[in-house]
Amino acid sequence: MEKIDVPRLISIVGEKNVKTDPADLYVYGSDASVHSARPWVVVRPENTEQVQAIMAFANQGKIPVVTRGGGSGMCGQTVPVKGGITLDMKRMNQILEINPSDVFCRVQPGVVDDDLNHALKPFGVFYPPTPASSRIATIGGEIGNNASGVRSVKYGATRDSVLGMKVVLPDGSLVTLGARTRVEATGYQLHKLIVGSEGTLGVVVEATLSFVPIPKFRCLGMANFDRLEDAGAAIADIMASGVVPSMLELVDSVAIKAVNKTMDLGLPEVEAVLLYEADAMVKEAVDHEINAMQEVCKKHGGKGLTSSYDAKERAKIFMGRKKLFPALSKFSDILSSTSLADDMAVPYSKMAETARTIHEIAKRNNIIMTAYGHCGSGCMHTKILMEPTRQDQWESARKAVAEIYEYVRSVKGTTSAEHGIGISKASAFKAEKSDSLDLMRNIKKAFDPNNILNPGKLMDAHDDWVTATDLRYTIA
Amino acid sequence: METRPFETKHLDKWKSNLDSCIRCGYCYEHCPVFKDTRWESDAPRAKMIMIYGLLSGKLEPSTYISDKLSSCFYCQRCVVACSSGVPLTDIITDAKRDFQGTEFETPGTTSVTNTDCALCLACVRACPHEAREFIEGKIFTDTVKCQSCGACVDICPNQAVATHLSYGTDRPSLNQEVATFLGKDNAKAIVFGCNWSYYPDLQSSVMDPTADPEYKILINMCGGRLEKPLLLEPLLQSAWGVLVACCPDGDCEHDGNVKAKTHVTALRQLLKEMDIDEDRIQLVQVAHGDKTGFQAAIDTFMETVNKLGPLNHR
Repeated sequence: MEKIDVPRLISIVGEKNVKTDPADLYVYGSDASVHSARPWVVVRPENTEQVQAIMAFANQGKIPVVTRGGGSGMCGQTVPVKGGITLDMKRMNQILEINPSDVFCRVQPGVVDDDLNHALKPFGVFYPPTPASSRIATIGGEIGNNASGVRSVKYGATRDSVLGMKVVLPDGSLVTLGARTRVEATGYQLHKLIVGSEGTLGVVVEATLSFVPIPKFRCLGMANFDRLEDAGAAIADIMASGVVPSMLELVDSVAIKAVNKTMDLGLPEVEAVLLYEADAMVKEAVDHEINAMQEVCKKHGGKGLTSSYDAKERAKIFMGRKKLFPALSKFSDILSSTSLADDMAVPYSKMAETARTIHEIAKRNNIIMTAYGHCGSGCMHTKILMEPTRQDQWESARKAVAEIYEYVRSVKGTTSAEHGIGISKASAFKAEKSDSLDLMRNIKKAFDPNNILNPGKLMDAHDDWVTATDLRYTIA
Repeated sequence: METRPFETKHLDKWKSNLDSCIRCGYCYEHCPVFKDTRWESDAPRAKMIMIYGLLSGKLEPSTYISDKLSSCFYCQRCVVACSSGVPLTDIITDAKRDFQGTEFETPGTTSVTNTDCALCLACVRACPHEAREFIEGKIFTDTVKCQSCGACVDICPNQAVATHLSYGTDRPSLNQEVATFLGKDNAKAIVFGCNWSYYPDLQSSVMDPTADPEYKILINMCGGRLEKPLLLEPLLQSAWGVLVACCPDGDCEHDGNVKAKTHVTALRQLLKEMDIDEDRIQLVQVAHGDKTGFQAAIDTFMETVNKLGPLNHR
């Protein structure tokens, strides 16, 4: 461990809230990404004052600080590449206020997404960004990544639901950003800038979030396509038709095979499946949207059309998509499912071509890749299945990832739709945003002149993600 | 005592399973150890990461790591929740096996026997895992076989058995929680829930501290561990009622639900004899993962309790 004044940190948060054992540092050095590094110390603040004191101390000694929520990030955002202090925010886990008449709630950053929605349910409302990891993801982490999930097509991402926040700056000062109102045109809306900044600008200690009514009716439909391109055309047509689905998901043939192989669900072995959902307060509105989407699917050769309002039936229809994540993990004893180039977004008209290109790139580089995702938001997810203990597989992955991002840029897509940049996607991010990187560096400097907050990420990250940190796997 | 050097003899075979773990962390919310300390190092994922560190030589074996890996109640909820199908508890057992007999071996959540032991051997007979043995005049716990179910703690007439680390599930900790909660203004009832059978929401977050909840759910490892004094304690401290949640018939491998039913029946009879409405103590059997059913049972119970009003001690 590097020399750091641990007794000083203990004096701020108490002995029980500081960890320095090598095992703790090893655990807190990784997340759900392929990366690994170690902090010098892990500290759990309980309140804003403690965060302020820790930041003032760190700033004085120019000690790196990495803020951490559930540690479920997939790109290495919370991997402390420069060591320093890892701030575990899970102790700041209070839902401070639910205000139905003003349509906002106030929460501390360590509140878990599902817990917030459980607390909101009695009021007939929900907090919509909800990523797949909502059972452990904290609001602070979701703000850091501008997280979103399957319903982002209708309800947007985290940034769309954040009204304001309190943030501790690197020098320990506290600022209040945003407002408690639905709209705001009062200067730079710095709270929106904090969303997606991956812990590089400040430490969020409180967030004011908006919520929306829980729809009374929800209907989920499914259509099978023999050709991926037909499914792609259906997606573009649905989104251009004025319909607002609450979910529009694509599942490709590799994913279908994986689910069938490991789960025995007997899904039709077609090139693509589309799942589409509509929700509203009146049934007629849902009927209208579902019928419109079914018509588009039929027009493009969609088969086996089915839909249901019933919760159990909907769960059955969604089963293939739901089981996809574990199916890919269990696909083979020697292959591991890795999160690399895993959440790019492309224009609707390019969805099918993107999926096809991903398959071609994977084949060319001797790895297995699947393409699925929230195509209603333009988001395409992939997983790379590979033997992580073989060096040559990492070379293949490096090449495949570079080729994918080159293609994404060529069709005017973007590097990340919802998982953020961290370490894994830094080189693609830098290539995509090359003309605004200096601007971003200046913003970072204005907030954090000593570069102590999550250094080595975003613009500051290593250009080669494979060698940027230790990989979490043991390579022969 | 002579020790042997630490080797990853039993853990070696799990290397590829540990590569399969995608470290999603979906196991966190299910783990009673994590929920008690809220340190990631105590979550099932961390156990897998530490084992990976031992196997790859990135971590040196230590008493600290042994303690973490031996802290598991074998509720299996992480195994069920695992996206990658990693057999976490099998791997943890092999970790304990590799630490056993080394200088680093620690009891973790396994049971220990103190000097009050009368050598009646009730615990040896009661252990469903054959983890307790009588050797040369003493009771020993095999830390590999022990699954921290607490059957021995429950049966010991001399209270000479305890789980070394209880993570808030032992009687003194639960009594403390009862006292703290019932000190609040609006506190009315305590709900004891078995870790296997119930599934409360708001796993990791807390509502506004100024909010005034009427009841509190306390985790116990098994319905069978809810002794009568523990169940009566809230009523002695002016609670309006006590609800006990345990597994449905046939679901408990320790017959803890049978014991819980016996305790609650006896206590209801006792209340009746004392001219106190017996409905102030109730039992509900909740299937694993039935959140809705559990919440509905709590709501119904709270309705009853609110109708009955405060308990007037005479």
